[in-house]
Amino acid sequence: MRLYRLEKKRFAEFIGRLMLDAEVIAPVKKDVVRFLPIAHPEEVHLEKNAFFPLKEYFFPQNQTLFQFDGKSFMAQVPKPKKRVFFGVRRCDLTAIRHQDIAFGEAGDPYYEAMRKSSLLIGYHCPKAPSPYCFCGSLPQIEYFDLMFFDQQTHFLIETGSGEGEKAVEEHAEVFVPAETPKPDTKIPGADRLHVGNIAPLYDHPDWKKGVDLCLSCGACTALCPTCYCFEIHDELSTADLSAGKRSRSWSSCQLPGFTRVAGDHVFRKEREHRFKHRIYHQLEYFKEKHGVPLCVGCGRCIEACPTRIDFVKLLNGMKA
Amino acid sequence: MNPYLPQRYQVLGFTRESPDTFTLTVNMRSKPAPGQFVQVSVPGVGEAPISICSDSRSHIKLNIREIGNVTKALSKKRKGDALWIRGPYGKGYPMKELEGKNLILIGGGCGVAPLKGVIDFIEHHRSRYRDIRLFLGYRSPDEILFKKELKEWRKKYQLEVTIDQNQHGAFCYDAKVGFVTEAIKKAPLDPHASVAFLCGPPVMMKASIDLLKQKGFGERQIFVSAERLMYCALGVCCHCMIRGKFTCVDGPVFRYDEIGAYAHD
Repeated sequence: MRLYRLEKKRFAEFIGRLMLDAEVIAPVKKDVVRFLPIAHPEEVHLEKNAFFPLKEYFFPQNQTLFQFDGKSFMAQVPKPKKRVFFGVRRCDLTAIRHQDIAFGEAGDPYYEAMRKSSLLIGYHCPKAPSPYCFCGSLPQIEYFDLMFFDQQTHFLIETGSGEGEKAVEEHAEVFVPAETPKPDTKIPGADRLHVGNIAPLYDHPDWKKGVDLCLSCGACTALCPTCYCFEIHDELSTADLSAGKRSRSWSSCQLPGFTRVAGDHVFRKEREHRFKHRIYHQLEYFKEKHGVPLCVGCGRCIEACPTRIDFVKLLNGMKA
Repeated sequence: MNPYLPQRYQVLGFTRESPDTFTLTVNMRSKPAPGQFVQVSVPGVGEAPISICSDSRSHIKLNIREIGNVTKALSKKRKGDALWIRGPYGKGYPMKELEGKNLILIGGGCGVAPLKGVIDFIEHHRSRYRDIRLFLGYRSPDEILFKKELKEWRKKYQLEVTIDQNQHGAFCYDAKVGFVTEAIKKAPLDPHASVAFLCGPPVMMKASIDLLKQKGFGERQIFVSAERLMYCALGVCCHCMIRGKFTCVDGPVFRYDEIGAYAHD
């Protein structure tokens, strides 16, 4: 790990340099803040975090896995060009790490290909960008190539990988080595979840308070940067009925069909079971397998919920 | 190696088992453990997880119920036709660990299929296990599976076949009318040095497990084969989760204490 300094007046120059040999994807203010490929360095928006997470760039909402022609299956593994993701918050970086774990364990070549040749440049939140944030209550693991700390007049930049060091070397003209200590990584206002272990709360009557408001719409899972579930379907070509494609798309554990088997038996038929399943997968089940909770505390599922179910408040209430 | 890529195989035979079930024999060479499953593809229709109901290295047998799009398409496959398979996947019954035990096999409907893989395995390694008891329950005489094999099983094992109702009057199989649980209740089952394998509809499994517990079986002596919706079979798509366990990689066979009574979770 090394620290460098980048003056804010040279920030646009740095982004411009990155754009010379890679697609730069950064938060851009549109109808909402979204991660989009930028055409000008001025488009980078760092005030608020993106409403939609970064996951669609690695795990697209729809993705063709195979083409088939009646004789064989031909894998359609993507080959994206070099991409730089700029302005990724700590929560979203940790989310990428968790998706790397989930897809990596399955040896998923599609995800691996999409993650390859991508440089992750973080932006450390000076304070919680949304009232729903709670990343400070969850483990945040250092997972970036470069991390930008906003210091009013300049950025302090921490390198987190060999790729990050290389990027600094390539653009050495704009960076100055910094002798200051590493900035504090605590994000003020982001530690509102007060329950560490939710295992004993499974049968708590207060779940009902959340469940009764839930519409089973799936907005929470669509906007979650970590939710990685999907389904696979075939489509035939209308021109040749022996040919077609097999593709995968996001699904949602909040929809009743998520556990429907042939014969129409639905295992998690009640909203309560689906609601709890999401929270327990996020905070408990992933931890059982991989040692860290899946949830990264970005708060998007709360902000996106049409009835504003705040599961953090719900859990805090159960503990009290 | 792309883990989603199915390989092309050929159907060696088709056997009609009941009005809505059939068995396909496929030229897939593998070393499946009893209870494991494969993902079978019909391009353009999709993939379905099917348990292996045989114990052979030269081929696999798949007993399939025509109930969804893929299984209906598979019912049209005949000798010489192509199909695409990936696998085998999952953890099967821990046959090695259970050597020297009495085995009680309880199956309901098409849940008998994975147990047939166990029975075939036992036949090939008979001396490793003690008493074998089979309880097989069906809704009606028409739905009885593996009718040819039943005659052999009756000679070798203690076998009880039940049917929920007998709409035809007389029939030629030695089956009792009633639920499989009634047969289990009446049978003198000694939990000592015994384990039970279960596969069937959730209601039947729950009732059978309750009975076994009443008879003194501990949760560690009960193994269940779970059915869930599956797409990837690689532990990532999340549809088959039972609480924190993935049916496709941690199961489909679970020791009962691993998943408990989490039927809804």
